[in-house]
Amino acid sequence: MRRETQNVLLVLLGGALLKISFTGAYLRYVKPAHQWLLIAGGVVMLVLAAVSIVRDVTARRHVEHPDHEHSTRSAWLLVLPVLAVFLVAPPALGSDSVERAGDAAPRAAASAEDDGSALFPALPPGEVLPLTLSEFVERAAWDSADSLDGRRIRLTGFVVHEGDKTHVARFAISCCAADAYPIKVLLDGADLTDRPDDSWIRAVVELVPGSPTKANGYVPTVTVHSVQPIPQPEDPYEH
Amino acid sequence: MTVEAPPDAATEAPPRRRRVTSLEVLCVLLLVALVAQGWITSVLDAPALRTGATIFVAVCVQALPFLVFGVLVSGAIAAFVSADALRRVLPRRPALAVPVAGVAGVALPNCECAAVPVARRLMQREVPASVALTFLLAAPAVNPIVLVATAVAFPGEPMMVLARFAGSMATALVMGWLWARFGRGEWFASRVTRRVPPPAGGHSRWAMFAETARQDLVDAGGFLVVGGLAAAVLNVAVPRSWLDTLGDQVVLGIVVMAVLAVLLALCSEADAFVAASLSALPLLPRLVFLVVGPAIDVKLFVLQAGTLGRRFALRFAPLTFVVAVGCAVGAGVVFL
Repeated sequence: MRRETQNVLLVLLGGALLKISFTGAYLRYVKPAHQWLLIAGGVVMLVLAAVSIVRDVTARRHVEHPDHEHSTRSAWLLVLPVLAVFLVAPPALGSDSVERAGDAAPRAAASAEDDGSALFPALPPGEVLPLTLSEFVERAAWDSADSLDGRRIRLTGFVVHEGDKTHVARFAISCCAADAYPIKVLLDGADLTDRPDDSWIRAVVELVPGSPTKANGYVPTVTVHSVQPIPQPEDPYEH
Repeated sequence: MTVEAPPDAATEAPPRRRRVTSLEVLCVLLLVALVAQGWITSVLDAPALRTGATIFVAVCVQALPFLVFGVLVSGAIAAFVSADALRRVLPRRPALAVPVAGVAGVALPNCECAAVPVARRLMQREVPASVALTFLLAAPAVNPIVLVATAVAFPGEPMMVLARFAGSMATALVMGWLWARFGRGEWFASRVTRRVPPPAGGHSRWAMFAETARQDLVDAGGFLVVGGLAAAVLNVAVPRSWLDTLGDQVVLGIVVMAVLAVLLALCSEADAFVAASLSALPLLPRLVFLVVGPAIDVKLFVLQAGTLGRRFALRFAPLTFVVAVGCAVGAGVVFL
């Protein structure tokens, strides 16, 4: 591959990184803290390509480049992320990945004591309390003080229909979408057949005490008081 | 565009007056992709493909900034560090220099993809291959960021951090010593072992820095994309739910987790959280997952084969896998 082509590809790739970090699309792929890394990486790519282009233009006759006579056919593959970002723009992980993951135990299981219980700080007062799905599921499964019992909680997530069951689910990521981990709650008593998979909702719910068991993978069941459709949040994941 | 084809296009047809240049190919490719955008998007609309595409972009986007950092370090070594300076720092005998490289890995937080170009550049600066390879294995696995992430992911298990450190460090040292004893220089691609003297003048040093970094980025970036593709396919194809059925079968668990670490190709700062979430398994298989993953995975294998040579990677990668599993089990027996 010619140097000019390599430089064009680097400009496109650096531009792709900058584009997703400025439009906020990067939140579909990595955690928020990576934004400045993406900007720095994109800028370095543009600078390296620019330096090379300027040197090629100013020193046209200077043609010997001893260090890269080897084949660089692999560089063609850089087209793929460029096309993926600019043309396809893959969406955030959704219901397909939830169904793929099956029933897995919530993350807190790793840290909990042998009997599975752990003490969580008391919940603040209030009529309807907003909680992340991860905190809700962890408390539902492991809180020995049963702090969720009788409380109305507002959860945000997307709808997943599995058979005749309807879940509200969301992914937690620790670095990028490759390590995403689904968290879901089974909705009881809500008619969400009109809401397709992956549509985002905000639901006010109440935990059915004792519903998360080892047998159901510690997926809690909730009774639904109200459901409100919302647009997908800017950051589709929990962290 | 009537520029003549470059001299390295030896695989193309016998010389004609006017050949298609790669720049034109790229333009046509981009145009076709633009025109066919609707078709491409509709093909990718199947749920599994959509998930795979998201994971592919995620792996690339996550790893590229670290790769950029790596090629800058690699470029700096090429342009500003002389072989003499490195010789003064490192002990003369590789057997002693290997532990120094292991400790250097602790001090330099580095992602595994960034370490590959750096290792290649060290070898060009006449650093023994065994020492450079120890650095390659140690840097992504035992640096402070990874250890803190492990401590956060396993809050109730402080020994997990120690076991991971011991297992990964042992893997790096054993591989370094094994390579010092049995490794052969001819396994590397010829461009790796070719000695490149650093330029003399100040201006040409900066020019060489930029050119080396750019070239490394183009080379390694392509291989990173292959790795990202592999990780995406396997991430979609390997259902994580069947891990839960392994339960308490420790030996089977170790084998499965070691293979999974290779196939999933997670970043070493995130794998601890994935391991923590697989709570149905005992700690030992999960430790194996953490030690094997940063040492060798599909994306790293492709990157090594492309950067250091296929013959090298075909020998180095399987041996690393075996040594890493052994060291992880050893560390687990001692610490867990």
